[in-house]
Amino acid sequence: MSMLWPGLNDPVHDSQRLFRQLLQAMSEPGTLHLLDVAAPPEDGPIGAALWGAMLTLCDLDTRVWIARELDSPALREALAFHAGCRLTDDPASADFALVTPTALVEGIAFATGSDEYPDRSTTLLVALDRLADHGPWQLSGPGIPGWRRLDVGDDEALMECLARNRTRFPRGLDALLTCDTRLTAIPRSTRIEKRLTEDRPCMSQ
Amino acid sequence: MNGYNFAYLDEQTKRMIRRALLKAVAIPGYQVPFGGREMPMPYGWGTGGMQLTASILGGDDVLKVIDQGADDTTNAVSIRAFFQRVAGVETTTATAQADVIQTRHRIPEATLRHGQILVFQVPIPEPLRFIEPSEQETRLMHALEEYGVMHVKLYEDIARYGHIATTYAYPVKVDDRYVMDPSPIPKFDNPKLHMNEALMLFGAGREKRLYAIPPHTRVESLDFEDHPFEIQSWNECCALCGSETSFLDEVITDDAGSRMFVCSDTDHCLTRRGEVA
Repeated sequence: MSMLWPGLNDPVHDSQRLFRQLLQAMSEPGTLHLLDVAAPPEDGPIGAALWGAMLTLCDLDTRVWIARELDSPALREALAFHAGCRLTDDPASADFALVTPTALVEGIAFATGSDEYPDRSTTLLVALDRLADHGPWQLSGPGIPGWRRLDVGDDEALMECLARNRTRFPRGLDALLTCDTRLTAIPRSTRIEKRLTEDRPCMSQ
Repeated sequence: MNGYNFAYLDEQTKRMIRRALLKAVAIPGYQVPFGGREMPMPYGWGTGGMQLTASILGGDDVLKVIDQGADDTTNAVSIRAFFQRVAGVETTTATAQADVIQTRHRIPEATLRHGQILVFQVPIPEPLRFIEPSEQETRLMHALEEYGVMHVKLYEDIARYGHIATTYAYPVKVDDRYVMDPSPIPKFDNPKLHMNEALMLFGAGREKRLYAIPPHTRVESLDFEDHPFEIQSWNECCALCGSETSFLDEVITDDAGSRMFVCSDTDHCLTRRGEVA
């Protein structure tokens, strides 16, 4: 089988550049970032941003859980070749989980860390069909001056799941939401509300 | 470069630190353990800060390093030279031109902007350590948000001295959850932690802990209603630039007790003198 999934052209500097985008995304929840990285060849559910994040963060020290809808022999082969990470069937032991909103709605028990070590938790890498700012979901909290808005399409259950996530703080899940080349982050520190009407900016503090 | 990987650390170490940094940013003020590496300098000289800087630094970043506010002291000069050699990055002393600023014990006077990253060197990351020596116990205290002893410590200051005598490494609460040691910055700098535009990362090499404050995050210095938090003030102004608002160092100038007060932030002082001249 030939290896069609691309790695990073310049692993040292590309991963540094992509990490800085991930760091900025995580520290400013709800901001959109375009990841300039080669996309997987097939017209599958895994876009360039998701693949770039995996290449940047995963290695032989990490365990990855893959949702059924995203799993494929080509993905497994590519991860083994480029990252060397271990795959796991146990979501509670996963450092990273490659998921679609469906997997979250099913209530799979990912690691949320302990009260003493809340960092020992799963980071969700979510593949979405739609991701834009200016949507019905209002984010606030650390990294957000006032509030930011997000649109994730019809995935109401995903955002409700992430909103509930906040109530367990400091335990919880951190999510990198991706769609094609776009990426945004919703760490567990972010408060999420659904706004039906468009508030005027002056309503923010 | 000469035989080293870019920015000294190997790629797997950088990825480990990068993953820990993302968790640190997601849980503001919480101390994330990381696999600290030996750096080519002793503990206490900023090995924690250097590992963070090495993990985030890119070839097109401009780096500034300060020690107690100064760009020209031993620690700052050495670390700047180190990254020039192992990463080939451009360096600067101008706060406004820097993308990454590694600092020992000060926050620059100039307002930091969006996109800048401030990396603090931290000796003892645990604010409760002087009260409770056991790591297991302090972990539990953070888990239970059991911070009463910290207020007792500040209260003891008031009982003994009539005011809160803690002047540096003054404990803060981040986003109303974690009590955090802001590293030994003077309490003068504490208000700059609150709602800062820049991302602030903290690295402790000996203790192998890192933590973070994202931009626009609420950071409160602990205090009492009847003894509110106050910053230092001076009767003097800077002897070189005349600043009345910056943090001043007292410099002894001879054996007869003569002294002068000068800005601790050398870039701030030089910039002002340029403006004044």
